[in-house]
Amino acid sequence: MSAPADGSPPDGSPVTGPTEEAAEAPKVGVDEWVARHEERRQAHGGLTGAVIQGWDRVPPAGHLAILFAPFVVFGFVANEGNLYRYGLITLIYALLALGLNVVVGFAGLLDLGYIAFFGVGAYAFGIMASGHSGHHLPAELAVPIAVAFTALVGLLLGLTSWRVSGDYLAIVTLFFLQAFVIFVNNANGGPSDWSYPFVGKVDITGGANGLDQIDPLRFFGYSISTTKGYYFYTLISLAVLMAMLFFVNRSRTGRAWRSLREDPLAAEVMSIPVNRLKLLAFVFGAAIAGYCGTIFGSVQSGAFPGDYDVGLLITIYAIAILGGLGSIGGVVIGALIVNGVPELLRSSENARLLFYGALVVGLFLAMRPWYRPVVVIVGTIAFGFVVHGVAGAVWPRGTAGHIQGGARLAGPLEHWVLLPTHPGRIGGWAYFALIAMALVLTLVRGWWRTLLLIPTLYLAAFVWENELVEQVSGATRLILLGALLVVIMNVRPSGIFGTARVEVV
Amino acid sequence: MNWNLFFGELVSGLTLGSIYALIALGYTMVYGILKLLNFAHGDVYMVGAYVAFFVLQWLGGPLNTDVAGWLAIAIMFLVAMLACGMLGVGIERFAYRRLRNAPRIAPLISALGVSIFLQNSALLLWGPNFRDYGTFDLINVKSYRVGANFLISNIQILTIVTSIVLMIVLTLLVSRTRTGKAMRATSFDREAAEMMGISVDGVVSFTFFVGSALAAAAGVMFVILFGQASPLMGFTAGLKGFTAAVVGGIGSIPGAMLGGYLIGLLEAFATGYLPGGSTYANLYVFALLIAMFLLRPSGLLGSPTIQKV
Amino acid sequence: MKKLVVAALFAAGVAALTTAAFGSSKSPSRAASAASVSSGAVKCGSTRYIGFMAPITGPAASLGQTQVDWAKYYVRLYNKGHKKSKIKLVPEDTELGGPNGTAAAVQGAQALGSNAKVLGVVGPAGSNEVKATTGALKGAGLGFVSGSATNAAIATDGTRTGYFFRTVPTDDDQSKSASAYIVNKLKLKRVYIIDDQEAYSIGLADSVESQLKAKGLTVGRDGVSQQLSDFTSVINKIPQNTQLVYIPWQLPPKGQAFGQQMKGLGRGSVKLMGGDGLFDPAFSGVGSNVYDTFFPVNTKDKRIAGFKKLHKGQTEFFGAPTFEAVHVVSAAIDRACKDGKATRAEVRAQIKKTNIPVKTSLIGLPINFAKTGNLKKHPFGVYHSSKGVFVRVG
Repeated sequence: MSAPADGSPPDGSPVTGPTEEAAEAPKVGVDEWVARHEERRQAHGGLTGAVIQGWDRVPPAGHLAILFAPFVVFGFVANEGNLYRYGLITLIYALLALGLNVVVGFAGLLDLGYIAFFGVGAYAFGIMASGHSGHHLPAELAVPIAVAFTALVGLLLGLTSWRVSGDYLAIVTLFFLQAFVIFVNNANGGPSDWSYPFVGKVDITGGANGLDQIDPLRFFGYSISTTKGYYFYTLISLAVLMAMLFFVNRSRTGRAWRSLREDPLAAEVMSIPVNRLKLLAFVFGAAIAGYCGTIFGSVQSGAFPGDYDVGLLITIYAIAILGGLGSIGGVVIGALIVNGVPELLRSSENARLLFYGALVVGLFLAMRPWYRPVVVIVGTIAFGFVVHGVAGAVWPRGTAGHIQGGARLAGPLEHWVLLPTHPGRIGGWAYFALIAMALVLTLVRGWWRTLLLIPTLYLAAFVWENELVEQVSGATRLILLGALLVVIMNVRPSGIFGTARVEVV
Repeated sequence: MNWNLFFGELVSGLTLGSIYALIALGYTMVYGILKLLNFAHGDVYMVGAYVAFFVLQWLGGPLNTDVAGWLAIAIMFLVAMLACGMLGVGIERFAYRRLRNAPRIAPLISALGVSIFLQNSALLLWGPNFRDYGTFDLINVKSYRVGANFLISNIQILTIVTSIVLMIVLTLLVSRTRTGKAMRATSFDREAAEMMGISVDGVVSFTFFVGSALAAAAGVMFVILFGQASPLMGFTAGLKGFTAAVVGGIGSIPGAMLGGYLIGLLEAFATGYLPGGSTYANLYVFALLIAMFLLRPSGLLGSPTIQKV
Repeated sequence: MKKLVVAALFAAGVAALTTAAFGSSKSPSRAASAASVSSGAVKCGSTRYIGFMAPITGPAASLGQTQVDWAKYYVRLYNKGHKKSKIKLVPEDTELGGPNGTAAAVQGAQALGSNAKVLGVVGPAGSNEVKATTGALKGAGLGFVSGSATNAAIATDGTRTGYFFRTVPTDDDQSKSASAYIVNKLKLKRVYIIDDQEAYSIGLADSVESQLKAKGLTVGRDGVSQQLSDFTSVINKIPQNTQLVYIPWQLPPKGQAFGQQMKGLGRGSVKLMGGDGLFDPAFSGVGSNVYDTFFPVNTKDKRIAGFKKLHKGQTEFFGAPTFEAVHVVSAAIDRACKDGKATRAEVRAQIKKTNIPVKTSLIGLPINFAKTGNLKKHPFGVYHSSKGVFVRVG
C-alpha cells in the first residue's frame, strides 16, 4: 500500500517544516515516521526555503492572484500574434490539463480518451451555432447544452470503468478516442457514412472537411470577437474553475477521490461509493473538456477531425504530469513549459540564445562549487578556438560554412564552432556521438566529469549549429521537449509541483 | 462463399498478426517484470526498419547488392536486431532505471519523452520522406497459388515463418534456460528474486534487449512486405502492439502472441467483410475488443490478479 | 469575515477583467488590434516580406518540403534578377495533419498578421487550414494565395472572397478531367475507388464516383487511413473483374506501395489512376498501367532545368503552383510599392489584377483570377506512365 505525504492539502504546495499545520492535520492512516521523513527530505534551505515558506504563508486566494497576475499583465501588453500563440493557446491547454487532473490526478483513473470530450464539446457547440449547420443559438444556451451533452458522454464512458481498471481502462478509453475520430471524420452524410434508421444519411459533423464557420461566442448580445476578448474570457474561466476545484479538493468528495486513487480496495472497505465516485470524476473531467471545446471551436471558427487526436492527448498529459498530478496550480506552469517553450524556440535567434543560456545556467545549477562551471566554460571556449584553429589549417572545408540566423553571436561563433560547408553525414554521426557522450557523463563522477564536459559541450555546440538550428521550428523543439520530459521525470518523478510519494512496504 | 476473399484475408491477417505479435512480445515482457508500459517500443521498431535500410544502402542498394538478395535480407535482420537490442538496453539504463520505485506515472512519462525524442531525432537526421527497401528489385517476389483460391507470396511466407521461429526461440529461452527462469522469477516478485541472488538489473537489461530485438525484426519485415519506412511509423504499430499485448493478457508471453494474431486477423476480416471496409475496420476491432474486455477484464490468457490486502 | 473579503475582492477582480474583455469586443472584425497593422501603410524598403505558410514538419512534411523548395527557388531567381529590391520569406509551420490539427496553422496566421512588415501571404497548403485561418488573415487584412488548397467550396462559399486566391485548379476540375478520360478515352465499365480518408481525397473520390455512376459505370468504393501501409486486406476486396482503381491520394509513396502490392497479389494488370498528389516518379515507376491527373506543367521550361540542377537531379512538380503563388504575391507587392508605400489592402487589390501569360507561367496555365479567387482557365491534364515517366495523353 502506498501513502501520500503528511496531511497537508495536496494542492501542489511542497511540504514545509513542522509547523502548527502538522499538528492539526489528520493523523488517521498515516505513518508518523513516513510523514516526518517526507518533511525532512523536502525541507529546503536557504533561498528556496525562504520562498517556499513565504508562499505557504500566503492564503490560497493569494496564490491564485500571484499565479494570474503575469497573465493579466500579458493580456494587456502583448500584441495580437503573441497573445494568441503564447497566451490563449497556453490557457486553453492549461484548462484542458485541469480537467485531466480531475480524472487522473484526483481520482487516479488513467483516461486516454480525454481529448474526445474536447472534440465533443467543440462539435456540439458547432452543431448548435455555426454557418455550416444553419443554427445560430446564442452562446448562453449553446454552451451549457454542449457542456451537459459532453458530461453525458463522459458518464457513458465512465460506466466502463466499473468493470475494467488500470491499464485496461486506458485501452478502452483510447479506443473511444479512436472511434470518435473515425466517426467524426466520416459523419457527413456522404457515401462512406452510415444510414440512420429514420432520417437516412445526415451531415452531422461535416466529415473530413470539418464543421466550419462556427459562430463566435455571443452572450446576451455581446459578441467576443477579438483575441484579447477570448484571452480574458478563458483566463476568467480558468480562475473560476481552479477556485472551484480547490474547494472540491478540500471537500468530502475530494478526500474520497484521493482515497480512491491511493487504494480503491481500502476505500471500498471504508464504505466509500467507489463506482459513483469514478463516474463523478469522468463527468467532471468531461464537462471541463467540453467547455474548453466550446471556446476552442469558436476561436478556430471551425472543428476539424485532426484537431482532436492522440497528439494533443500526449501534449495535455505532458502538461498535467510536468505540473504534477493532483496539483491545481501546476497545470499553468506545465502549460507554459510545454506550449510556451517550443513556441519560443521557433525563431532560430531566440533558440540560439536560449540554448547557450540554458547550457550555462544548467552548468551553474548542477555543479556546486562555483569555480567548477567557470572552469568548464573557460575550458570549452579555449578548446573550441584550438580545435577551430587546427581544423582551419588542416581541413579548410571544415570551417568555411556560415552560421544560420543568429545576428548578434554570428561573428564570434563562426570562429569558434566547426562549420563544414556540407555537414551531411558528419552531422548525423556527431549527433550520435553527442548522445553517447552525454550518457557516459551520467556514469562518471568528480573531475572526470568536469573534464569530459568540455568536449561534450563543444560537440553540443557543433551539433546545434549544424543540425538542430535548421529544424528549430519543427523537430528540434520536440527533441528538446522529449529530452526535457525524460530528465525531469528522472530528477523529480512527481512532477515539478507534485508531492513526492513514499511507498510503504 | 467467396473463398478467394476468405483466403486472401486469412493470409493478410496472419502476416499482419505476425508483426503485431512480435511487437506485443516486447511490451508484454517488459510489463511483466517492471509493470511499465514502454511507449518508446514502437519507435524502437521504427529505428530497426531504418537501420536495415542503411545496411541495405551500405551493401550497395537494392539494385546491385554485393551479396545475393536473400543473404542481404538476413544481414539486415541480424544487424537491425543487434542495434535495436542495444538501443533498448540503453533506453532502460538511462530513462527507466532510476524510476523503478517511483509512482507508476513517472516511467510512463519518461517513456513518452523517449518516444518523442526518438521520433524527432529520426525526423531530424533522416528526413520525413518514406524509405523503400525496393523489395521488388532486391529479390524475386513470387506469388504461389495453391488450388484455385489460395494465394500467398514468398515474402508473406518469410514473415510468418520468421515470426514463428522467433517466438519458438523465445519460448524455449524463457522456459528452458537459466536466464529465462530468472526472468520468470523476477516477474513474479522482484524483491524476492533479488534476495535469491538474481541480478535484477541484468535480467531487466536482457529483457529489454530481447524485446527490442524482436521489435526490430518486426520493423524489417514490415518494410520488406509493405515497402514504407517513415519516422512516424512507430506510433500506430506501437499502439496496435500494445493493444495486442493487453488483449492477450499483459504479462503473458503466449498471450501476446495470441493477441497479435487475433488483432491481425480481426483487422483483415473486418476490412474484408464488414460494411464500411477499412474505414471502419479499426472501429470494429476496437468495439469487439471492448466487448471482450467487459466480459473478461484481464485479457484472454492473463491471470486475474488477486489483490493481497 | 476574511472569507467574505476575499470573495468580494475576487468578484471585483472578475468584474474588472470582464469589462476589459467585453469592452474591447465592440469592434466588428476579429483581431481588432491588428486592424491598425492592416490599415497602416508600410514603407517599401529594399526588402519585401512575404509570409509563407506550409507544412514544414508533421506527416505532410514531404509535401511541405517541395513547396518550400519551389518557393525558395523563386526567391532565389527574383533576388538574382532584381538589384533594387529583394524578397524575404517569413516561414510559418502549419504542421498539416499533425497532432494539434489546424491549431498550428491558426497560430502561424496570427503571427503573420501581427508582423507589420508582412504584406501578403503564400499558403496555407491544406483546404481545412484555409478555412481555419481565414478569420485571422482576413482580420489582419492579408491576402493569401495558396498553391495547393483545392477544395472547391472554399472559393465559392463567400467567406473569403477578395482575400483568398489559388494558383491551382480545383478538385472539381480534376474530377471532371479524370471521369471524362475514364469514360470517353479508356471506355471502361467497372471502376473501384479508394480514398485515403483525408478531406482532399474524399472530396475527389465522392465527385468522381457520382460522375461515373451517372454515366452508368459500376463503381465500388472503399477508404483507407492515410497512415496505412498494408493494403493487402483492401486489395483482396476489389472485385476480380475491376478494370481500374482510382486512388486520389496525397502521398506518392503510398501510391507506390499500393501498386507494388497489387502486383504482388497478381493484380498487376489492373489500371491505376491517381490524383495530383501522386504525380511523382515513385508512382509512375510502378508500371505502364498507371495514369494520373495533374495540371499541365510545361516540362521544357528552363526554370525546371535550373531547379533540377539545384536539387541534384531531383525534380517534382507538386510545388510548382507555390512557385507561381510567390510570383503572384511578389509581383503584386512590387506594383503596390511603385509609389514607395504599400498597404495590405493595396497588395490585395494588385493580386486581383494579376495577369501572367502562359509563356511566363510555370504551371502551363495563364494566371488571372476570377472574382472567387479561382483561376479563370483551369483544365487538368491526364498523364500516362510510359517507361517510368508521366507523359501527357489528355
